Amino acid sequence: MFKELDPILHSQLRLAVMSLLIGVKEAEFTFIKEKTNATAGNLSVQVQKLKDAGYVEVTKQFKDNYPLTTCKVTPKGIDAFEAYVKALQDYLKVGK
Amino acid sequence: MENDNDFNPQQSLALIESMINKAKDRFNENGHLYLLWGWTVLLCSITHFVFLKFDVMKEPGRIWMLTWLTVAYQMVVLSKRKKEERIKTYTDEIRGYVWLAFVAMMFIMIFLMAKNELWDRTYSMFLVLYGMPTFLSGVLLRFRPLKIGGLICWLLAIVSAYVSNDNQLLLLALAVIAAWITPGYLLRAKYKSETV
Repeated sequence: MFKELDPILHSQLRLAVMSLLIGVKEAEFTFIKEKTNATAGNLSVQVQKLKDAGYVEVTKQFKDNYPLTTCKVTPKGIDAFEAYVKALQDYLKVGK
Repeated sequence: MENDNDFNPQQSLALIESMINKAKDRFNENGHLYLLWGWTVLLCSITHFVFLKFDVMKEPGRIWMLTWLTVAYQMVVLSKRKKEERIKTYTDEIRGYVWLAFVAMMFIMIFLMAKNELWDRTYSMFLVLYGMPTFLSGVLLRFRPLKIGGLICWLLAIVSAYVSNDNQLLLLALAVIAAWITPGYLLRAKYKSETV
């Protein structure tokens, strides 16, 4: 029996954001935008969805008078990511 | 990147792998502070040694006051680096704490030596301490020249047991060449080649 893939994570851009954040402590929004090649608008929407799901924490502050947004993955996000990877592995095992 | 849900498990895993590597493979150590401290300690130790041998100054140890200038400059560099930082990794954080522990240990050791007027074998102790953050930074950055540099510091600390106090200054100079100056230039070259 296959586990349902988490719909929040099973989206290319949201999965890319989570994969970037999983290995670091925190990253600036501009860094994520650069690495994912996403547009700022689309990325904002997807980060908001991850935030609403409780998978990432978004901090907005000012640095040298410019707005600065940083994102970090939450413990709930780590659990969801691990469960997603485990589900993928199960799919691939059966597919072999 | 598209926001497309229609991709298979293999594509998902490939995406995860490529994004993790994008964050992981970034090498952000340009060797600047290793070179700064390497050259400062080299200059101070050699000058101190020459002053002692040729009796140039009454208190040749005062040359080490130069390190305060280096501390001030380092503060500026670190605050600039913090402003430019776009990503924080756990490795960078741990490395920062390793160097903070080293600075704390150096200050406490110097305080204890000053309090008890135990200046004999100071440089042996410096060599032992230099080895710790250097070796651990090498482990965290996966950069062998730093690991070797740390080991050389500890080797020179053992050698210092058989060397007079004055000549230990030369061991200190040798240690910073091996542990900070050489790896510093290699780090700079690696950083330049990876950020181009």
